[in-house]
Amino acid sequence: MTSDTSSKIIYFDNIPATPEKKSIMSRLGYRTRLTTLQPGDISSMGETINLGLALCRNRGALGRLTITDHSDDSISLPDGNCFEDKQLARLLRHSEEVLLMAGTTGSEITTSISREMEEGNASRAVILDAVASCSADMILDWLMETFNKMIRKEGRKLTRRRFSPGFSELSLNNQAVIFRLLGLERLNLHLTDSMMLVPEKSVLAIAGIERITN
Amino acid sequence: MLLDGATGTELQKKGMPSGVSPEKWVLENPDALIALQREYFQAGSKAVLSFTFGGNHPKLDEYGLGDAVREINRSLVKVSRQAAGKDGLVAGDISATGRFVQPFGDLPFEAAVNIYKEQVAGLLEGGVDFFIIETMIDLQEARSALLAVKESCDLPVCVSITFNEDGRTLTGTDPVSALIALQALGADAVGCNCSTGPQNMLKFVQAMRPFAKIPLLAKPNAGLPKLIDGCTVFDMDPEEFGKYGPKLVEAGVMLLGGCCGTSPSYIARLESNIKGIKPLLSKQPVFSAVTSIRKTVQIGPEFPVTIIGERINPTGKKTLPEELRQGKTTEVRRLAMEQAAGGAQILDVNVGMPGISEVKKMTEVVETLATCVETPLCIDSSSTEVIEAALRIYPGRALINSISAEKAKLEKLLPVAAKYGAMFILLPLDDEGIPGTALEREAIVVKVCDIAGSYGYTKQDIIVDGLVMTVSADQEAAKETLKLIRWCSEEFQVNSLAGLSNVSFGLPDRGIINNAFLAMAMGNGATAVIANPDSEDLMPIKMASDVLTGKDKNSAKFITSRTAKEKPSREARGSMESRGLLEQIFDSILSGNREAIAPLLQKALAEGHKPDSLMSQQLIPAIARSGELFDKREYFLPQLIQSAEAMKAAVEVLEPLLKADAPDAPAKATIILATVKGDIHDIGKNIVALMLRNYGFNVIDLGKDVDAPLIVDKAKETGAEIIGLSALMTTTMVQMKTVIDMTKTKGLRCKFLIGGAVVNQAYADEIGADAYAADAQAAVKIAREWSSK
Repeated sequence: MTSDTSSKIIYFDNIPATPEKKSIMSRLGYRTRLTTLQPGDISSMGETINLGLALCRNRGALGRLTITDHSDDSISLPDGNCFEDKQLARLLRHSEEVLLMAGTTGSEITTSISREMEEGNASRAVILDAVASCSADMILDWLMETFNKMIRKEGRKLTRRRFSPGFSELSLNNQAVIFRLLGLERLNLHLTDSMMLVPEKSVLAIAGIERITN
Repeated sequence: MLLDGATGTELQKKGMPSGVSPEKWVLENPDALIALQREYFQAGSKAVLSFTFGGNHPKLDEYGLGDAVREINRSLVKVSRQAAGKDGLVAGDISATGRFVQPFGDLPFEAAVNIYKEQVAGLLEGGVDFFIIETMIDLQEARSALLAVKESCDLPVCVSITFNEDGRTLTGTDPVSALIALQALGADAVGCNCSTGPQNMLKFVQAMRPFAKIPLLAKPNAGLPKLIDGCTVFDMDPEEFGKYGPKLVEAGVMLLGGCCGTSPSYIARLESNIKGIKPLLSKQPVFSAVTSIRKTVQIGPEFPVTIIGERINPTGKKTLPEELRQGKTTEVRRLAMEQAAGGAQILDVNVGMPGISEVKKMTEVVETLATCVETPLCIDSSSTEVIEAALRIYPGRALINSISAEKAKLEKLLPVAAKYGAMFILLPLDDEGIPGTALEREAIVVKVCDIAGSYGYTKQDIIVDGLVMTVSADQEAAKETLKLIRWCSEEFQVNSLAGLSNVSFGLPDRGIINNAFLAMAMGNGATAVIANPDSEDLMPIKMASDVLTGKDKNSAKFITSRTAKEKPSREARGSMESRGLLEQIFDSILSGNREAIAPLLQKALAEGHKPDSLMSQQLIPAIARSGELFDKREYFLPQLIQSAEAMKAAVEVLEPLLKADAPDAPAKATIILATVKGDIHDIGKNIVALMLRNYGFNVIDLGKDVDAPLIVDKAKETGAEIIGLSALMTTTMVQMKTVIDMTKTKGLRCKFLIGGAVVNQAYADEIGADAYAADAQAAVKIAREWSSK
């Protein structure tokens, strides 16, 4: 993807990232000791959650790049690419390389969410929306866990946190940089003029690769 | 046999720089490798690995050497042959491509096989004695390499997997599942290398041993890597490392060596420590098991009866065939997940239907299911071609449904089954048809087992189908099936199963017949059944039968399943029937029962209740109560919205009547809603619209990604009192200020309500919005407050 020979992209066509039902319920506001559910509610919501999980086609990509320069408020990558943000620069201060990640739950679930909403089934739509959101998070968790295992024998690890464009001062325009570097057309993603990823339940993130020290 | 230790790190000590192609460097500096490998032989190694770890096309291509795969592999083997001399052995070393193979990754399985076949050809030309496929982080890639070797030559081939500290490969495979899948596929030895030190590796080997019909291999690292004074070092010295040699051998390892961080001195220590120690060889293990990439399922009389879920079959279904034709997999995933959650331990997969390519569809479905559920698969087709295509790409050991004594099946399908090492269901029928009696079926079972034995099969690899026929056509049929099952269990000692649903065709309440037959089949010794685990009472009866036949030790599974049953909510309300009509209307809104509300309202109207009193005394209090429960977190979002949906259905009934009764009643405020320009997230805004409409507001929803001028123009045109704006991203929330400024510039006197994940009250204050709403309920409260003033 760049002139940096250490960098390469790995694509995953089926990521086994299935969020737990309790995390989906929690995202919807369920509180264990407070929220009261009827047995019928439990089974119908369970069915909708299962449908949502079945609708998710979890895919992702990873790209590893060398950091060519650090400063207090930016990090530089090969070929003139640069991420400008103080918090990100601080997160990556001990990193020699950066890991770019992308995850998507695919278009089928987002189409279903819109359809349910249009057909007046708003409660089903919000449950499917929560399933997709939790799945998208899980995809990035899975990518980080998998990559951490891959680099463990090199004596390296990922930063505990990851960072996404649009948060802190890291401009959403960086979505275009990550999109290009990872070649995300291969995951059937595209970016709108306002830097929104389509399908909607798609996420990009950055983490640092550090050496394990004593 | 003692193998070698690390090569790459040792060559770096001898001057190999980083950033170059290691294979090319060795070809330019062969003496360094020859010297190192001679040291390994002197230390006690009986075999060394060719320096071809990165000798496949994708790896060599990273250095522009992708066109020289055969030549490089051939030449590197010849270098190692010089080191080995006459007595030493050279193993052709094969490892990962750096890409992930389907179903996890994007590299097609057959492409991976071909990549490895190219490398194998070079290694064979160089003159290797056997193969070691090593440091494999994904079982599917290991399978592709193993098939490449086996389809290229008859030399022995060992497969060594890398497990992480959690005892799983990167793609989630445990040591037992890896062993069973690879030995079934024809590996001559299986084991593990790299990643962890010998301590963890001992645990992996111990887990594998009870299932190992072939020798085990271990090449541990010298501990785990750490950074000390800027250098990567491994924390175990040769003496400490060597202590694990005897333990590994005693655990069953017959091929032992070292991986990262080891050197000839480590191998020398192993050699001296294991001298005279022999592996404690156990009897040939006896077990029946299938695996997925992440799970092993054992079948047998000592285990609870195995449920093979039957629902992934287009016959008699509407949605599944439609989706399969459209290339969708949602229904397949849903059926798989539901059956797995319902208790199926194996999933039967049948995609046979007219108008599709069964081979293509079966491979798509198998790839989908291989990652979406942990449950092993049973490949169900009448076509040998379909079954072979599925077995080839299935990352585990599958079950085949089925092989009979028909000539075509024995001649074509049995060799295919044997090549991939699949278990199979034996259908006791032949070219003459289905025998009517158990005695005739027994003869067929014996015949097929004998023939299968010549392909290396044992009885443990076979499950006999009792051939369940429908009792409505022949009432003796079930008895014959049960006789055969009993014979399999007590005399022939082979697994047997019953396909439950066949027995009840043509009878009413089929579930009762099926469940009774399940209990009888289990009582006669069936070890598996093909069934729908979601059928009413099937699982409880199966679990109870497991208790009564002594298969559920201490009744543990039964007790757990019964205590885990859903308990009614502590605040469960009484049944609808016990409530009066008006209370039922209230309850329907509160519980979100939108199907019930319209008929109830019609009944109330027919009884003389006035629309305005129903609205003000039942519906509005109920929806308000729903909001209160949401505020107290006794309701969560889906419940709040279900109430809103029921309210919407109620309003549709009453609104025309209310308008007819009071045509001049003032309408509530007009509210414009929009997700701002550049933002495509609109579910939150849609919910706000639904809730506001229920409270009688005139909501004009402009949708998502809406230009500021359009919002302002619409507000002017409609005389809107409130504009509600939504944004999910920090980059798009600035558009809210644009709308507010533009509205004020045009002299409109609207109130602004904003919401969305990235905004808050402080941001509302900053941009001049009148209020921020954290959720839809809060938005309704604010709008009602404003409109009441």
